[in-house]
Amino acid sequence: MKTWVKIVLGLIVVGIVAGLLVFKFVYNKQHPDYENVEAAYTVTAQDFYNDYKTDKNAAATKYNGKMIALTGKLSKVETVDSLVTAVFVFNQGDFGDEGVRCTMLKKFNDAADKLQPDGEVKVKGFCSGYNETDVVLEKCSIINQ
Amino acid sequence: MRTTSFFLILVLMTALSGNAQKYITKTGYIKFYSASPLEKIEAHNRQVNSALDISTGGFVFKVLMKSFEFEKALMQEHFNENYVESDKFPSATFAGKVTNIKDVNTGKDGIYEANVEGKLTLHGVTKDIKQKGSFEMKQGRLIGKAKFNIAVADYNITIPGNVGNNISKTIEVTVDITLDKANM
Repeated sequence: MKTWVKIVLGLIVVGIVAGLLVFKFVYNKQHPDYENVEAAYTVTAQDFYNDYKTDKNAAATKYNGKMIALTGKLSKVETVDSLVTAVFVFNQGDFGDEGVRCTMLKKFNDAADKLQPDGEVKVKGFCSGYNETDVVLEKCSIINQ
Repeated sequence: MRTTSFFLILVLMTALSGNAQKYITKTGYIKFYSASPLEKIEAHNRQVNSALDISTGGFVFKVLMKSFEFEKALMQEHFNENYVESDKFPSATFAGKVTNIKDVNTGKDGIYEANVEGKLTLHGVTKDIKQKGSFEMKQGRLIGKAKFNIAVADYNITIPGNVGNNISKTIEVTVDITLDKANM
């Protein structure tokens, strides 16, 4: 086989491999494995909520879009369809209870359902921000203490 | 400004109705859908705050942009970082009225047409919108539904040329919320 043919074939193979890699890791890349993402901050649920109440812009810059681990006394667990939410209540407002709402990864729905109100828990989730009534954590997992 | 108006409406709703007849949810659902010849793009948000005051018709929504979930991680990244800039504009709000609220009989199960008018704030831009939807009264709960289109350019959302063909210029928005009577 002539050298230039080898070079062209080689380049085509490299091109195909590069294309497949771009497809897999860029275009079709997976969502993070939320359960195994390390928490950027570990705080008490009360301090976390207070940070947003005190200065929501500073808190948003610090926490929004990051993985946050919270510790505290759970107030209740709510279930709507397949969405299970562990709730820390710290205030009352126009929307009733206000605090930190942690929606669970499906995998942790059953475990969250079994959490006892008033029990100490540690949960970890991706912070979506503060909607003027609650701070919302999503894709949450329960951390064994 | 957006949050102030959201709260002003809430305060107004409370003030106007001594006997607050308020229906609320924190787990409403909103879907974005964009269809183009190359690709369909869908995003789901199941963390929508909404309140309706039956006595005044006052109606508010608040949506955190980072709560929208896309099938593809890359789309979600582009949506947050390039299109809606969710670090800069973390939420979208609607504050307005159901103008024919008197037609919604909360004492009787049934489906009632709703005319909704108000201001939608998205990506830091506020526009008047007027849409039709429905409320279904069912076993003490009020199920609100609406489907409408918004033009991305109206909200200063620019889509780069190289991906512009993958995303249509209008986005279909579907709203589906189940409101419960507030205990207060």
